[in-house]
Amino acid sequence: MTRTPPLRTPALRTTPRRATRPKAPVRRAPLSMPGAGLALAATALGLAVALAALVGVGEGRAQAGRAPVPASGASGETAGGGQATQREITEREATEREATEREATWAAIRPDLFPGKAIAEAADGLVTLSAPGRAEDAAIVPITIALGLPADDPRSFRSVTLVVDENPAPMAGRFTFGPGQRDFTLSLRVRVNSYSFVRAVAETSDGALHMTKAFVKAAGGCSAPATKDTAESITHLGDMRFRSFAGSGRAEAQVQIRHPNFSGLQMDEATRGYTPAWFVREVEVRQGDRLLFAMEGGISVSEDPTFRFSYRASAEPVAVRAEDTENKVFSKTFPGGGS
Amino acid sequence: MLLFALLPARPAAAGEPPPEPADYRQDAYRAPTPATLAGARVLAVDAAAAIWRAGGAFFIDVLPRPPRPANLPAGTVWRDPPHASIPGAVWLANVGFGALSADTEAYFRAGLAEVSRGDVNAPLVIFCQRECWMSWNAAKRALAYGYRNVSWFPDGTDGWAQAGLPLAPLEPRP
Repeated sequence: MTRTPPLRTPALRTTPRRATRPKAPVRRAPLSMPGAGLALAATALGLAVALAALVGVGEGRAQAGRAPVPASGASGETAGGGQATQREITEREATEREATEREATWAAIRPDLFPGKAIAEAADGLVTLSAPGRAEDAAIVPITIALGLPADDPRSFRSVTLVVDENPAPMAGRFTFGPGQRDFTLSLRVRVNSYSFVRAVAETSDGALHMTKAFVKAAGGCSAPATKDTAESITHLGDMRFRSFAGSGRAEAQVQIRHPNFSGLQMDEATRGYTPAWFVREVEVRQGDRLLFAMEGGISVSEDPTFRFSYRASAEPVAVRAEDTENKVFSKTFPGGGS
Repeated sequence: MLLFALLPARPAAAGEPPPEPADYRQDAYRAPTPATLAGARVLAVDAAAAIWRAGGAFFIDVLPRPPRPANLPAGTVWRDPPHASIPGAVWLANVGFGALSADTEAYFRAGLAEVSRGDVNAPLVIFCQRECWMSWNAAKRALAYGYRNVSWFPDGTDGWAQAGLPLAPLEPRP
């Protein structure tokens, strides 16, 4: 595919970012407040510029560096640098309201995704999630999950679940591993439907769950129209590619499965209805007899599911098997690429 | 007043609202909307709030909500995001697209007829979110259906919330 973005994602985002929506909420300065008149007259020029900014901001992006508006309230603060501006206060309130809503989303879906389980914040380095803070294309958001256990930790990883909180089908995929997996990195592309926390929840062999999260600003990924390449994806339905990067010195490989991965939420221009969901539901990648990883995935995985993962090339062949929601099975075996 | 004398003639960074197209908006729905809708009254938040408080008008939310696909694997966790709207409003989901399927068209007509009790002069206030063409489309379509007292409230639930007005959870009309 020509428009595949690299699976290596840039910025590491393991702490949630405050959502700052482009349309900044604006509250008008109360010009009629008694006692404010003198202060306003004294700073008329600054205020005029600020008012112009207020009127402008309603339609455009919030911009840093505009002249501050005198803070409203009985404290009678005058305009000047260093005070929290009116806009910052209302932005912060909106952000806090949104943050509360987002925590409410996680609280609502968590019992369905992890019934009856305790989930701890992952210890440093145990689970790392890389995601762009702001996605270029909400239908193809590159995510990298890195799992690692310290040498003195006897456990191994059983699975990792990727959740996109605000997606209508929040469980993007659950990836399970063969026994003894202690160090694994996985990259894939997902759809993000609105500004959302993305979470990786890893399960270790003792049954404990470890979570880390990142915040991604994106919208409309699940309903984004299928790409021009989608007709291609259907023509080449189930075609697979496997590539080992051992030659370039990287212990990684990549698997791609051609598939439209229709979410069921994409509108069909012709019928004005929704293109029915049709997506890869299961993937299994084996190296010889050993399971490298298996995926149980949903509509949040992007068109043409592509996975980059830790891989030590050997002579053993790599077998890939995928099954979609129409119960079509695709499978292919590739040379291991090593010796 | 000294203030207004010093105001520049036009906003510093804002673009002009786009002109009204002749037909419905067909794509890129989240974008700046026109300042007008021919045949409808355009309401700012204060006016919409006053109408809401006075009662008697029917508020219609046209926010899209994609329906759950029929063929998801058993056990798929699905979550329709909760929607908080103007209290007392009726939510006719997905009627704001530029072109409607026959089913959606029928749903819209039936929803309007029910809300208005068949009275084409019933006051309708149509909204979704700020900078969304869907409410403009829906209001335009209501006018095309023959409703005569159509108001378009472009700031929608965004403007309503910022003005500190109450919101209430709402489910789409089935």
